[in-house]
Amino acid sequence: MTVRLRPHQAQILAYKRGWMGVSAVPGSGKTWTLSYLAADLITRGALDDEQEILIVTLVNSAVDNFYQRISAFVQQRGLLPNYGYRVRTLHGLAHDIVRERPDLLGLDTRFQVIDEREADAIRSDVARSWLQSHLYDLDAYLDPSLEENRLDWVRREPLVKTVESIALNLIRYAKDLGYTPDLLAQRLEESNVPLPLAQMGAEMYTHYQRALAYRGAVDFDDLIRLALQALQRDPSLLEYLQTRWPYILEDEAQDSSQLQESILRLLSGEQGNWVRVGDPNQAIYETFTTANPRYLRQFLHTPGVIQRHLPNSGRSTPGIIHLANYLVHWTQSEHPTEPVRDALQSPPEIEPTPPDDPQPNPPDEDTRIHLIMRKYGPAEEIQAVADSLERWLPENPEATVAVLTPRNTRAFELVNELNQRHIPCHDGMLRSSSATRFSAGALAHLLRYLADGRSAGKLAKAYEVWRRNDRGEEAARALMEQAAELLRKITHVEDFIWPGPHHDWLAETGLEESNPEAFQQLEEFRTLVRRWQAAVVLPIDQIVLTLAQDLLEEPAELALAHKLALLLRRASQEHPDWQINELTSELAIIAKNERRFLGFSEEDSGFDPEKHKGVVVVSTLHKAKGLEWDRVYLMSVNNYDFPSGMGYDQYISEKWFIRDHLNLEAEALAQVDILHSHDQFLWYEEGQATAQARLDYIRERLRLLYVGITRARKELVITWNSGRSGETQPAIPLVALQGFLEK
Amino acid sequence: MSELFDLTPEQRQLVDLPPQSRIFLEGPAGTGKTTAGAARLLRLLEAGIPASEILILLPQRTLGTPYLEALNQPEAFTGGMVSLLTVGGLARRMVELFWPLISAQAGFSRPDEPPTFLTLETAQYYMAHLVRPLLGEGYFESLTIDRNRLYSQILDNLNKAAVVGFPHTEIGERLLAASDAEPSQVRIYQDAQECANRFRGYCLENNLLDFSLQLEVFAHHLWGLPQCRDYLNASYRHLIFDNLEEDTPVAHDLVRDWLPEIDSALLIYDHDAGYRRFLGADPDHACLLKDGCEQHILFEASLVSAPAVQALNLGLGDRINRSRQPLPAEDPRPALLYETHRFFPEMLEWVTGQIASLVYDEGLPPGQIVVMAPFLSDSLRFALANRLEARQIPVRSHRPSRSLREEPPAQCLLTLAAIAHPQWGFTPGKFDLAYALMQAIEGLDLVRAQLLTEIVYHVRQGAPTLSAFDQIIPETQARITYLFGERYDTLRLWLEQYQQDAQDEAHILPLDHFLSRLFGEVLSQPGFGFHASYDAGQVTANLVESIQKFRWVAAPTFGQTDAALGKEYIEMVKDGVIAAQYLSGWQIEAEDAVLLAPAYTFLMNNRPVEVQFWLDVGSRAWADRLEQPLTHPYVLSRAWQPNTQWTAVEEIATSQERLYRLATGLLRRCHSRLYLGLSELGEQGMEQRGPLLLAFQRLLRDLAALEEQS
Repeated sequence: MTVRLRPHQAQILAYKRGWMGVSAVPGSGKTWTLSYLAADLITRGALDDEQEILIVTLVNSAVDNFYQRISAFVQQRGLLPNYGYRVRTLHGLAHDIVRERPDLLGLDTRFQVIDEREADAIRSDVARSWLQSHLYDLDAYLDPSLEENRLDWVRREPLVKTVESIALNLIRYAKDLGYTPDLLAQRLEESNVPLPLAQMGAEMYTHYQRALAYRGAVDFDDLIRLALQALQRDPSLLEYLQTRWPYILEDEAQDSSQLQESILRLLSGEQGNWVRVGDPNQAIYETFTTANPRYLRQFLHTPGVIQRHLPNSGRSTPGIIHLANYLVHWTQSEHPTEPVRDALQSPPEIEPTPPDDPQPNPPDEDTRIHLIMRKYGPAEEIQAVADSLERWLPENPEATVAVLTPRNTRAFELVNELNQRHIPCHDGMLRSSSATRFSAGALAHLLRYLADGRSAGKLAKAYEVWRRNDRGEEAARALMEQAAELLRKITHVEDFIWPGPHHDWLAETGLEESNPEAFQQLEEFRTLVRRWQAAVVLPIDQIVLTLAQDLLEEPAELALAHKLALLLRRASQEHPDWQINELTSELAIIAKNERRFLGFSEEDSGFDPEKHKGVVVVSTLHKAKGLEWDRVYLMSVNNYDFPSGMGYDQYISEKWFIRDHLNLEAEALAQVDILHSHDQFLWYEEGQATAQARLDYIRERLRLLYVGITRARKELVITWNSGRSGETQPAIPLVALQGFLEK
Repeated sequence: MSELFDLTPEQRQLVDLPPQSRIFLEGPAGTGKTTAGAARLLRLLEAGIPASEILILLPQRTLGTPYLEALNQPEAFTGGMVSLLTVGGLARRMVELFWPLISAQAGFSRPDEPPTFLTLETAQYYMAHLVRPLLGEGYFESLTIDRNRLYSQILDNLNKAAVVGFPHTEIGERLLAASDAEPSQVRIYQDAQECANRFRGYCLENNLLDFSLQLEVFAHHLWGLPQCRDYLNASYRHLIFDNLEEDTPVAHDLVRDWLPEIDSALLIYDHDAGYRRFLGADPDHACLLKDGCEQHILFEASLVSAPAVQALNLGLGDRINRSRQPLPAEDPRPALLYETHRFFPEMLEWVTGQIASLVYDEGLPPGQIVVMAPFLSDSLRFALANRLEARQIPVRSHRPSRSLREEPPAQCLLTLAAIAHPQWGFTPGKFDLAYALMQAIEGLDLVRAQLLTEIVYHVRQGAPTLSAFDQIIPETQARITYLFGERYDTLRLWLEQYQQDAQDEAHILPLDHFLSRLFGEVLSQPGFGFHASYDAGQVTANLVESIQKFRWVAAPTFGQTDAALGKEYIEMVKDGVIAAQYLSGWQIEAEDAVLLAPAYTFLMNNRPVEVQFWLDVGSRAWADRLEQPLTHPYVLSRAWQPNTQWTAVEEIATSQERLYRLATGLLRRCHSRLYLGLSELGEQGMEQRGPLLLAFQRLLRDLAALEEQS
């Protein structure tokens, strides 16, 4: 099979060995190119029997994507799939490494990785109990103009959230820097400057780790820290893994953290083969982590590193491309705050695909760009966007459209409005995920029935869950509803599920004659329910897995079910008196998304905008990364969500009850940084970190705007609002873009 | 009598050697060594040697089954008893017998009082008792481990010291010297040492003997004691020691000392085994016994595996070992069947279908089929057993490491016990009772069990009570059915009668007696749930034994009444300290049912089958070392060079060796076919790439390449 390569792709695919860095632009086919390169290396016979190409990427959806593509490529070349390559997220890779030698790290062979939700709960407990026993310790940071009665409330309410946030960020940061709680405490003791925020963080860190150890668990951050530790401590392990993975291909390298870079650097070795692909302009995951697009840039400019670009993108019309490129140029040359002019980089700038490319850009006459400079109130902005969608949607039933907001709450406000107007919309990307809600909810329905085996209503609900895929098709749906209605009317459930010799409800319905299909389904359902009922004597995790095996088949759903099983198992171990109904309530809480539950989102299993034609997809900008729509709305592009370093700008991380506009999270990390530094002329100066955090935030927000613009294929609408105070301004970059368009 | 066996010429030659021979027989599994050993046993008896003079020594009692079967054949001899013992069992007998002679010198504080022997779980109980307070003081803080596994690993260290033969005070030092762990981990070895010391001290103070102390007392104080040695020499003149590769260095030492003093010996050694290494087995050390024997015999030809299976074994073994041997001449493909599925449940469907076809289309007895996974999770066991039973294929299963509190029959028994003993103050929940009734009454389904519970079960003044079936309104009685109602009443009346009797404190039975009676008088009777369930009977037996041992051990130390001990036991079970992880239950009764088992359990059961299914082939657990991170089977072995570090090189080499031994060991116990159940996503929904899967992939790829060439 011959594939037409663009010249820039051909250059990359000519790669043989060494370190190579590739700067790509949005829509330039990074995954395709890396997959192709992997397949190429395998076909070229670059690997020994034992060896694999290691591909490291950011999210699970990308893992699946890579597997599918590479296996397609290698099969086209007559080779066996799934052989000679391994695709992992950083967490997956870390898990693989740690599993090689758990004993080295003080881990039991059966160590658990704690769920993000539970980690959150532990951190929250730790933060609250710290604050309870140190109620006045942070008073020095509170705004002195606060009145006493208000002060008391601040200590008990909003300050808790701030301390929780410090716990989250500081623990993660300390782990990124390789600090154990002991080591951090020791450094603090040696330090002769008071560092109260670091001190507080270190104490919470100690309690948090103790809580994890008690559970026989580590968290995701530990996993990565431990993986690096294993590689550093055991040279023979490193050598073994270096031999196993002679080529490392890294995707989304702009979001690489310091630890990820260290791990891959070690695995590659100075003489190794390491290809890093990323778009520094799309680095949007950096706040309070050690991730920084700077690392990728530095790598690209390291002597000896082969530098390549992937500038061609067939995604957008030339008009949209110009606008995105202009944002880069404007930032570099005209941004009013000089230090952030490095936020966006070029080259490469986005270029359309060459003539006769298999992925031609949409024609320029399709370009529609509306930058609405009118001052809306927050509610008016929602109305305006909803109005616009209401007009546009019926005229474009076959097109895709998304509304992207900087924050979740804003997106939900829009969803409410769209729902009220009966405008079809998809909000799955906003919640922990629709998959989570659905399959946790499905399992909860079944458990609820098992807890109350006599209930015909719950049995009918269980039946509907089992036949849930029938909803899509009219005839099947009618059949399902009819059968469920019959079930709901059963007087004695046992006459259906476990009929005695004289009384068989199903036989007496006469369905076998009148509706053989329904009869067959109900018979099948009866067999299943018997199996499920027999399972109730098992521990809860096994009940859930048993149900899941009969009910689910999507990999994300199955993986999720397992995770739910683990969560429930742990819940039941922590509450040995809990019975199936309490555990079901726990599951229902998860299902209703009342607690945060990260993991197996639809995003992770690959959200496909093309499957939502004629429906408004509402998402945050962050979650829209990697996706594209025909028409894109960007909301709230004002100076609160996209500040530019002007004197009148306000910052979300600077709380009103903290004095001097201090950003306490940033200050806490800066205090840790000081401990980490070996430079004796560096000292902690209050406020510096806050100022630095502002600059970092401005930079990241510029990139976020860039990401937003580059999601659009043909049409782009940007609006802003004046905020709650009514004083918020349009973001300065938005004004600049408007100026560009007018020219 | 030895003609009872159909022997090969090689086997016949061995059996016919003069009775007064010391023979070292070696060879791979499946070459007929144990059969020869059993025939030799009968030959010795034929030659007029009294049965009581023969000692069969085994690393694990279940391995003695072939010998017992030989002795139990109707044509076999009558009169006298052959002794079948483990070295640990021998040690315990001798300690019991000669206790007064050595108790003081062995350091026990109360030499005049009798010893108490601890089982694995009672030892665990005491260990928990001692270590739990230390955890609060920050012991093992940098360790990520479940508490009950922590206790068992400290015990394991003591056992290693005893079976390998070094002072238990060196455990921490040895582990530390080999460790390349980061400095914060170093303290855990000191903590482990401290806990071991305290435990040993406590045992000496209270005349408690755990396995390690039994063996140490035997090896250090009794073996050299003339009275003991004379006794042994007078009792046993002939020794058969099978599977010595699965036994420990101290066992080997004792036998090596003993060989010159006895009249005959047959030592049997399996190549490529050593599956009990995590318990201290040392196959290399076992070879030293060869020097003590005049006759060396090697069996090589497999009597078990078809040529294609042998070729598969060879080809797979080479690929596990990453050696570049060409493929065997014989085509292994007829012996290997597999199908890849995306999801785990799909794979289980396929496996079920294949088994059904083997049983119904090919007429293979279900007992000739084994389904294995490295770990047999309950959901896997359950899902598969359920599918097979739905096709009327009998299933049996065994998991040695399952904890009691997770066994539904055990929960049923303990729930009923709580109801019979309201004075304990446990009030089972409605779900517990419904589940208990569901299991106790044969055929009672969940719907009716819940209905029944709802009506008859009440908690009055903190005490659980059951009311009579005939108090229920007739319509509901009919729903529950009179059949189940009658059975329920039988059970209820039995419990009520016991409660009445037990109002007199003197009539409260020890918990194990209570359960035995409940089982014998009600649950095992026709119409009750344990009647036809082999598994439930087995669990009951294990539970009863566990309680009994707990009672014997804990009563003297804590001086509690039987009734209080019953309550204490239930609390310990709830806490997971007592898990009754009955290693003794590795024996699997020969029964014509498909066996579901973890791979090592099947191996140690040592019964070849016609067809094997391997599931979860992608799991790393096929090669993983258990029992980490507080103990270490290699570092604490005799061959380990002090002051060398354990690194990834050793880890990888030993894991490869372990996998090789496991895979070849399994295939040598396979007559005709191996099925692989492959799913891209494992049971946990994660993609797996363990070394066994990679070895199969290599093999398949090499076979494909070969086909292309031809």
